[in-house]
Amino acid sequence: MTQDKVKIGIYELTGCAGDALLIVDCEEELVNIFTAADIEVFLMANSDSRHGELDVALVEGSVSTEKEKEELLDIRKRAKTVVAFGNCACVGGIQAAFLDRKDWEKNLKEVYGSHKFSHLQPAQSQPIDAFIQVDFYLPGCPVGKDQFLSTFNRLLRGNPPELFRFPVCVECKWRENDCLLNKDLLCLGPLTLAGCGSVCPNHNIPCFGCWGPTEEANRTSEYHLLLEKGFDIAVIKSRMANYSGARIAEFFESFRKEKR
Amino acid sequence: MKTISIDHLPRVEGNGGVFATIDGRVVSEVKLVINEGPRLIERLTVGKTPEEDVSIAPRICAICSVSHKNAVLRAMENALDVGVPDKVTLLRELMHMGEFIESHSLHVYYLALPDYVGFPNAIAMASKFPFEVKIALEMKQFGNTMMKLISGRMIHGENPVIGGFGRYPTREELVWVKNRAVQFMPFVFRTVELFCGLDYPPVPEADTVYACCEPGDGRYGLWGDEIILSTGEKIARDDYKSLTNEFLVPHSFCKRSRYKGNPYSVGALARVNVLGERLQGEAARMYKKHYNSSWKKNPLYHNAAQALEILYSFERVPELVDQILAIPENPPLASSRRKSGQGTGLVEAPRGLLIHHYEIKNGLVSGVDIITPTAQNAEDIERYCYIAAQKLLDDGQENKIRDRMDLVVRAFDPCISCSVHMAEVKRAPSDRWKKELAALREAGPVFVGVGQKDRSDDGAGLELASRMKELGVKDVYLEAEIEEDHILEGLAGRPLVFIDAININERPGKIVMLPLQQLFWNAVLSHRLLPSLTNRLACDQVKNAYVLGIQPESIVEGGQLSKPVRLALRKILKDMRGSFVPPVKPKS
Repeated sequence: MTQDKVKIGIYELTGCAGDALLIVDCEEELVNIFTAADIEVFLMANSDSRHGELDVALVEGSVSTEKEKEELLDIRKRAKTVVAFGNCACVGGIQAAFLDRKDWEKNLKEVYGSHKFSHLQPAQSQPIDAFIQVDFYLPGCPVGKDQFLSTFNRLLRGNPPELFRFPVCVECKWRENDCLLNKDLLCLGPLTLAGCGSVCPNHNIPCFGCWGPTEEANRTSEYHLLLEKGFDIAVIKSRMANYSGARIAEFFESFRKEKR
Repeated sequence: MKTISIDHLPRVEGNGGVFATIDGRVVSEVKLVINEGPRLIERLTVGKTPEEDVSIAPRICAICSVSHKNAVLRAMENALDVGVPDKVTLLRELMHMGEFIESHSLHVYYLALPDYVGFPNAIAMASKFPFEVKIALEMKQFGNTMMKLISGRMIHGENPVIGGFGRYPTREELVWVKNRAVQFMPFVFRTVELFCGLDYPPVPEADTVYACCEPGDGRYGLWGDEIILSTGEKIARDDYKSLTNEFLVPHSFCKRSRYKGNPYSVGALARVNVLGERLQGEAARMYKKHYNSSWKKNPLYHNAAQALEILYSFERVPELVDQILAIPENPPLASSRRKSGQGTGLVEAPRGLLIHHYEIKNGLVSGVDIITPTAQNAEDIERYCYIAAQKLLDDGQENKIRDRMDLVVRAFDPCISCSVHMAEVKRAPSDRWKKELAALREAGPVFVGVGQKDRSDDGAGLELASRMKELGVKDVYLEAEIEEDHILEGLAGRPLVFIDAININERPGKIVMLPLQQLFWNAVLSHRLLPSLTNRLACDQVKNAYVLGIQPESIVEGGQLSKPVRLALRKILKDMRGSFVPPVKPKS
C-alpha cells in the first residue's frame, strides 16, 4: 500500500527552524504523521532523505542566498503542491524588514565588514513567492499546531486547507478579551491574520503581528488611531513592518502617495 | 583519488555541514560550513523599542527561543535598570527548565541515540526501543507544556516581558507541573544510566578550555553575571568580548570565537566539567558515579552531560514550584528607572553560553551584539573533527571518518539556525600546494626557511630558502635572520610561509601546504624550532601563517639531503621560477 501514500517533503531555508520544530513538537501525532504519509525529506528528524517527485512540499524560511533560490526552483519542479510554511516563507520574516536593497547592503556591510564569503552568495531575504508560484500560505511565527495538523490532514486527502481570512480581533472577541487598544496599548490585532488563537491578548500582551498581515487590513485607520493615542510615527511604522516583510512596502508607498 | 560525501548533515537543527579534505595521509583542512543565509538580526533590532526587540531577537532560533528570551530580558533589564521581583525570576527559571528538559531529551533520544544503536531515525528506532521512544516523547512534551504554560507558546511565546509577565500561571497549573515532574523520576534515572553508560568511541580526544556562566553562591545553575572558565579564570558580564573575540571565516555566515587565540567549548559538557562538583542531591550522586577523565577531553560525552542535566532539571522543578507558591501575590510589571544605558545578559542555553548585549539611547535601541553558543563552538567542532579524521586516517580507518565527524558535530548539539546540510571527505590532488601557494602571491608572502643544516633532511627548509634567494624571490629569510622580534613585527599584515621538513607519515619528498594552526593540532613537526618561533607571533599573524612542508626520508646527525627531498626542492623552485620571480627587465 505504500505506493498510495502521499509523498511529502519538508524543507528549511533561512529562518529559525521553528516551523519544522513545531512538527517535531506534535509529539502525540508525530508517529501518525510519519505513518500516514511518506515523509521523503525532513532533515531535522531523519538521516535518510530522498530527492524525487513530491505530492506536497512544505517550505519553511526565506530565500537568503543564491543557492537557496536554485534549491527552491528545483523543489517547485518536483512538487505538485507547494505550501509556504510559516511567516518567513509567506512574507520573508523579520529578516525581510529592510525594504530597500541599499539598506540591506549597508547593513550586511555593518555586520560582516567587507568580508568575502567563499561558500555562498548572500542575497536580500525574500518570501518564496518572489521566485515560484505558491499554492497555499500557512502563516505563523511559528505556525500553529492545530492549523498545521488540519492543513496536513486536508492535503493528505487532496483537499485545499481551510485557513482563516480574518484578523486576530475575531479570535480575541470569541474569547471575550478586553480590547487592548482601548487600554492604549499598541496592539496589531486588527491588521494581523488570525489562527494563533489570540494568544498574546489572552496573556494581556498586545499583538506583535507575528502571523503576518491579513488581506483586507485597514492599515490607514489603525495608523491614525495609534497616532491619536500619542504613539510616535517611527514606532508605529516599525511595529507594522516587523513581521510583514515586503507586504508592508506597498502600504507605506500608497500612504506616501495619498499624503501628497 | 576518491571522494566520500554526505550531502546533508541530518538531525541537527538548522542548515550546515562539515567538509574534510585529505591530502595523501594528512587531513589538510576541515571546514564547518554554515549554509543558512545571513539574517542580519543584529541590525534589524537597531532603531526599535526595547519591547520590540524582546519579541524579535528570540526569533534567531526556535529551539532555544526561551534562552534567547531570558537573555534579551536580562540584558534589557540591566540596561534600563529594572528591579525584577523574585517571583518573576523564579518563574523565568522554571520556564528555562522546561526548555532544558525539552531540548536535551529531544537531542539525546531523537537526534543522538539512533547513531549509537544503528538506526536512521528515532521512528525506525521505535521497533527496538518502543518504551524509550514513547516516554522520551512524553518527557519532551512535558518540557514543551511547561514553556507553553509560562511563556504563552511552545515556541516564541510572548508572555515574558520586561519587568515581569503578562499573565501568571495559576496555583493549580504549578502544582500539576510539580507532580508531573516527580512522576518522571524513574525514567530520568534510566536516561542517565543509558547515556552515561553508552560505549563512546575514544576518538577524538584532546584538551580544550570550557566556558559557562558562573551562577554564584557556589551553585550549579543556568545563568549568572560572570563567565567562569575551566582554567579558573572569571570574566565579568560586560567584559564578555575578552572571551569571545569574534572573527569571520570565508566559508560561513556564522561568526567565530577564540579565547586567547585558542578554540574553546561551551554547552552541557562545559557546564558539567566546570560546575559538576557543585551538583546536589541525586544529580551529585550520579555525577560521582559516572564522571571520569574522558569527559574532560572527548566531546562525545556531551550526550552524557545532557542526560545528567535532565536529572538536574527534574530535581530543580519541584524546588522552584515550591518557592514560587510561597509568594502568592502576582507582582505588577516592574518599570525601568532610566531610558538610556547599556546592558549584557548571560544565560546558558541548552547548547551553551548565550550572550545578548544592547545599548539603548532615549528609549530606542542603538547597538546590539548577540553571540550564540554554536558560533563559539564552531572552532572546536572543526578542531575535534580534524583530530578524529587524522587519527582514523593514521589508523587506516578512512572509511570511518565521515560517520565519526557526523557523531562529533551532532554531539555538540549545534543549533545552526543560530545558523546547516553537508559532511564531506575529499581527496586533494597531489599538487595542491601549487594552487595554495599561488593564492598567496598577491598578498606578498614572506618566506622563512627553518631547520638545522647538519641533520640531513632537516636542512631542507634552509637549503630551499637559500636557493630561493639566489633565484631572486623577494622577502626570503633564513631562521637566524629573524631572531630579532622587530623583524617579525615589521612583517605584520602579510602572510608568513615557513619552509620546513615536517613528518606527515607520507612518502619521502611529498610536498604539502598547510595553515600553521592545523599543524599545531597535528604536532607533526620534526623538531621544536618552529613552535618556538611561532610563539612569538601575534594572534592575527598566526592566522595568516602557513607551512610549506616536505616529508623527510631520514634525519641523522651530519647527513646530507636525501634524493627524494632534493627532487622536491627542485619541483618547488621550478614552480617559483614561473610565479614568484619578477621577470628580468632588459637593461636599458
